[in-house]
Amino acid sequence: MVRLALHVAFFLAVFYLLKQLFELRAFARLRHLAKPKGGFRVPILLVTLLFLGLLVHQATWQLTGVFRPEFVSFMQLHDRRAFNPVHWIRRGRILDRRGEVLAYSEEIQGQVYRLYPDGPVFAPVVGYSHPRFGSAGMEAVATAHLNGAAAGSLTSWGELGRQLVTQDKRSRGQDLVLTLDAELQRLAVERLDGRPGALVLLHPSDGAVRVLASVPSYDPNRIDSALFEGLDPAAPLLNRATQGLYPPGSTFKIALAALALERGFTGRLDCPADGFTTSAGYRKIRDHEYYSARNSGRVWGGHGPLDLTTALAKSSNVFFAQLGVRYGHDAFYAMADQLHLDRRILLHQSPYGNLALHTGKLRRIARSDRYGLAQMSIGQGRLLVTPAYMALVAAAVANQGLAMRPRLIAQEPPEPLGRFMSAASAGRLAPMLRKVVTAGTARGIDDPALSIAGKTGTAQNPRGAPHSWFVGFAPAERPQLAVAVLVEQGGYGSAVAAPIARDLLLQAQASGLIH
Amino acid sequence: MSPARKPRNAPLSLRATWDLRWPERQLLLWCLLCMLLGFLMLLVAGYAEGRAFHPLDSLPVVIYAVSLVLMHLTLVAARFQGDQILLSSLAFLMGFGMLAQYRMGSLDAADLTDPGLYLFPAGVLLMLAICVALMRGRYERLAGGLWIWAGASLALVAGLLILGERYRGAVYGAGLVTPTELLKVMVVLFLASFIARHAKRLGNWGKGLPKPPVRDLMPLAGFWLALTGLLLVQRDLGMFIILSLTMLLMLVAGTGRRAYLVLGALAATGLGYLVLALFAHGQNRIKAWLSPFQDPTGNSWQILQGLSGMYSGGLWGEGFGQGNPEYTPIAQSDFIYAVIGEELGFVGCSLLVVFFLVFFSRGLGIADQTRSPFGRLLCVGLTSVLATQTFLNLGGVTKFIPLTGITLPFISHGGSSLITGFISLGLMLAVSEGVPPKPRARPTAAGTKRPKPDAPPSPASSRRGRGRRSKARPTEEPEETSR
Repeated sequence: MVRLALHVAFFLAVFYLLKQLFELRAFARLRHLAKPKGGFRVPILLVTLLFLGLLVHQATWQLTGVFRPEFVSFMQLHDRRAFNPVHWIRRGRILDRRGEVLAYSEEIQGQVYRLYPDGPVFAPVVGYSHPRFGSAGMEAVATAHLNGAAAGSLTSWGELGRQLVTQDKRSRGQDLVLTLDAELQRLAVERLDGRPGALVLLHPSDGAVRVLASVPSYDPNRIDSALFEGLDPAAPLLNRATQGLYPPGSTFKIALAALALERGFTGRLDCPADGFTTSAGYRKIRDHEYYSARNSGRVWGGHGPLDLTTALAKSSNVFFAQLGVRYGHDAFYAMADQLHLDRRILLHQSPYGNLALHTGKLRRIARSDRYGLAQMSIGQGRLLVTPAYMALVAAAVANQGLAMRPRLIAQEPPEPLGRFMSAASAGRLAPMLRKVVTAGTARGIDDPALSIAGKTGTAQNPRGAPHSWFVGFAPAERPQLAVAVLVEQGGYGSAVAAPIARDLLLQAQASGLIH
Repeated sequence: MSPARKPRNAPLSLRATWDLRWPERQLLLWCLLCMLLGFLMLLVAGYAEGRAFHPLDSLPVVIYAVSLVLMHLTLVAARFQGDQILLSSLAFLMGFGMLAQYRMGSLDAADLTDPGLYLFPAGVLLMLAICVALMRGRYERLAGGLWIWAGASLALVAGLLILGERYRGAVYGAGLVTPTELLKVMVVLFLASFIARHAKRLGNWGKGLPKPPVRDLMPLAGFWLALTGLLLVQRDLGMFIILSLTMLLMLVAGTGRRAYLVLGALAATGLGYLVLALFAHGQNRIKAWLSPFQDPTGNSWQILQGLSGMYSGGLWGEGFGQGNPEYTPIAQSDFIYAVIGEELGFVGCSLLVVFFLVFFSRGLGIADQTRSPFGRLLCVGLTSVLATQTFLNLGGVTKFIPLTGITLPFISHGGSSLITGFISLGLMLAVSEGVPPKPRARPTAAGTKRPKPDAPPSPASSRRGRGRRSKARPTEEPEETSR
C-alpha cells in the first residue's frame, strides 16, 4: 500500500515538475541574449519525432509484447522474473484427434501447473513444459500457439486495453489438436508391456501419425534434474521411435525387393542350404531354416532356386545377400538415397524446438568390401534405422511409392516427402508383402478380419538377443495404416513384434481408422 | 533598483540575480521532492526485503540536495544570467541517474570511501567551475586553441591505444576509465572553432552545380580520417558515429549548407559497409538486431533480457527497487534504461525521454539565441553529441537500432561519461550567459563589475542584433521580480 502510494506520488511529482517546467519557461527566457529566430525549430521537431518513434517502438515490446510469440516463448523459458505476466498465461490444451486431453494447465493456489493425464504414454510426442527445465516436444514446437500469442487470439482490443492498464495478462492460449489416436497409443504402450521398444502407426496417404510410442518414457508431471543427468541406463529421454538406431534385419529386404523391382528383376536365384559368401575367407550367410534344422539335429536341403516373392515370404538371407552383391555398391547407395536413408527429416519446425525424425545411419563401405554389402543387403552390418523410418518405408509402399511427410499437428496440410519407388514397383511389392503374412514368416498373425501385409525382422545385434521387428500395412488392397513395431531384444519378429502390430491394426479397424 | 533602466546584458547585482533565478529555485526544489519520493520508494522496497535502517542510507539524498543548493547559490553569487531550464532538466536527469545508480548498488552509502558517491557532486563542481570561469563571453578564448584541441584529441586516442588495456573488446585506460569520453568535448571545441573561423569558405559550394569546397575541407577531412582510423582500431564504433554525426550537423549549422547532409549520407553508406565488413562484432550486433530469436541464449541474450524486464514492467512498472534488473547483464551502465522500464514502466521511460527532449531543445534554443558563431556551434555540437548518445543508447536497448554499447548521459554508471556530460553542460551554460557589451559601445550604469578589458570583441552581428532590439524591452520583468 505504501509502495503503491509512493509510486503514484513519484509520478505525480514528476508530472508536476514537467508542468512547472512548461509554465516557467516564459519567466526563464534568456532575455539578455538575442531574440530567438526559430532557426532550430525543424531540428527540434525532427529530434522529437525520432524519440517519439523510439517510444512507439518500445511500446510494441513493452506494452504489446504478447503479440510477439517468439518473445513470449523466450520470456517463458528464460525470464526468471516472477512478476513477469507471461508466467501467468494459461497455455492451451493439447488434444488427440478425437479431442481427448493429453496436456492441460491448471491454477492451483495461485500457481499455474501443467498436467499430463496419461503421464509417460504421450511424452515422446507431447514433451513437457516446465518453468525450470524449459520445454520439449510439441510443447516446445507449438509454444506460440499454445500461449495464444498469435495475433487474433486476444478476443478484442478492449481486452488488450484492460490488460495493459491492470497488468493482468492472464490470457488463455489456444488448444492444439494432434493427429494422434490416444486409445491406440495407450494400447501400443500396454502391449509393449514395459519392454524397451517403439511403435509407429501412420496414415500412408496423408502422413498423419496415429501412434508414436516409445518405451520406456518419462513422466512429464514429474520432471527433475536427475532425468537430465543421463544416468538412467534405460534412457527414458530417448525417443526410440524417431531417434533410436537399430539394425533393421530382414525388414530391410523390403528395400532390396524394391531395388530389384525397379531394376526389372524377374528371374530366380539359387539358394543352397550351404549359404552364400563373397569369398572363402568370410563366414557364410545362411538361411534361418539351416540353423533351426541344425539345432534340432536334422539336415535341411535348402530352398533351391527362388523367385522374389517366395524369397521375401521365406525371408531368405541367401537370396537377398546375392541380390545386393549382384547390383553392387552404387546401386545400393543410390537406392538408400532415394529411400532417404541417413537423413534428418524435419516434421515440425519452430524457433523454440524442432520435431525431427532421423531415418538411420548408413556407413559408406569400400567398393572392395563385397561381404559388407551382402551383410547390409540383409539389414545387418553397417546399417542402422529408426522405427519411425521403417513405418515411413511401409507407408511409401502402401501409397504407391510416394512417401508423405509424417505430421503430428492436425491442422497442418499433408505434404509429399519424396518418391521412394515407382508406382509400378510399389504395386508389385504390396502383394508380395501380403504373401509374407498369408504364406510366409508372418503367417501367425494372418487374421480373417483384416488383410495385413508386412515383413518380419529378427535383427542380430551385439547386445544379446535379437531385436524383434514387424513392418507393414493394412488392408493390403487399399492400405489405410502403415505400422512399424520394434521390441528391443524381443526375439523372433514373427513371435513378438508381429502380434503387437496385428493387435494394433485390429483395434484401429474396430475404432474406425480402417474401414 | 530599477532593472528597466539597465542596459541589456549588463552584469546584475546580487539581489537582482537572486530575483532573476526564482524559476530555477522552484524547479530545483521540485526536482529534490521527486528524488526524495523516488528514494523513499527504494528505501521501502529495501525494508520490505528485510534490510535494516542505517542512518547513512540517506546520504545520497543529502548529497543531491547539497549539490542543488551549491549549484543555485554559486550561480547566484556569480551573478549568472544564463539558462535556468537547461539546468533544471539536468538536475532532474542527474537525480534520476543517482537514484538509478543507488538502486543498482553502484552507489554504496555505507562505504564513505566509495568514489561513486562523490562522482555526481564532483561533476556539479566541475560544471560550475567551467561555467563561472568561461561565462561573460570568456569562452570565446577557447576558439583560439583550434589546433591544440585537434592535437590533444588525436594524442589522447593514440596514447590510449598504446597505453590502454583491452576489456570486452574495447580499449580502456587504467582502472577501466574511458578517457576517450573527453573527445566528445575536445572534438566539438575543435570543430566549433574551425568551422566558425572558415564558415564562409566552407559554405561556398560554387554556383551552378553544387560542389563541396574540397580545398577548404582538407584540414577537417585529414583530422577526421586520423580520428576515424584511431577510433576504429580501438573498435569504438559508438564514439565514431557520435563524432561523425556531430561534425556533419555542425557543418550544416555553421554554413547553412544542407548539402553536407547529402555528402554525409553518401559517406555513411560507404563507411557502413566497410565497417561491417571489417568488424565481426558489428555483424553480430546487426544479426542480433534483425533476428534476435536466432540465437536467443547467446548473441541476443542481453537485449532480450532487457526487453523481458521492460515487458514485465508494463505500463506503470513494478515499482522502484522491486524489479530484478540483475537478470540483465551490465544493467547498471548500458542497459539502465531497461531497468527504468522494468521498475517505472513505460510511463517512467516516457517521462525520462521528455526530460531529455526538454534538455536538447533548450540546448538548441540557446544556440539559436547566441550570435557568436563559435558559441552557437559549441551549443549545437554539444547538444548533438548528447542527443546522438542518448538516441544510440535508448534505441539499442529498445531494439530500435542495433546495439552500439554506449552509455546513457547522466544516468548510466560510468565516471568518464558522467564527467564529460557535466563539462558539456558547463560550456553550454557559459554560452547561454552571452557576451557582455563592450564598454565603449554602451556605458554600464548599474554594473558593480566592470567587464574585463581583455574580453574578446563580440562579433559584429551580435552587436547589431543588440542594438536593434534594445528598444523592445521585456515587460514582465517587474512582475517577475516581485515574486
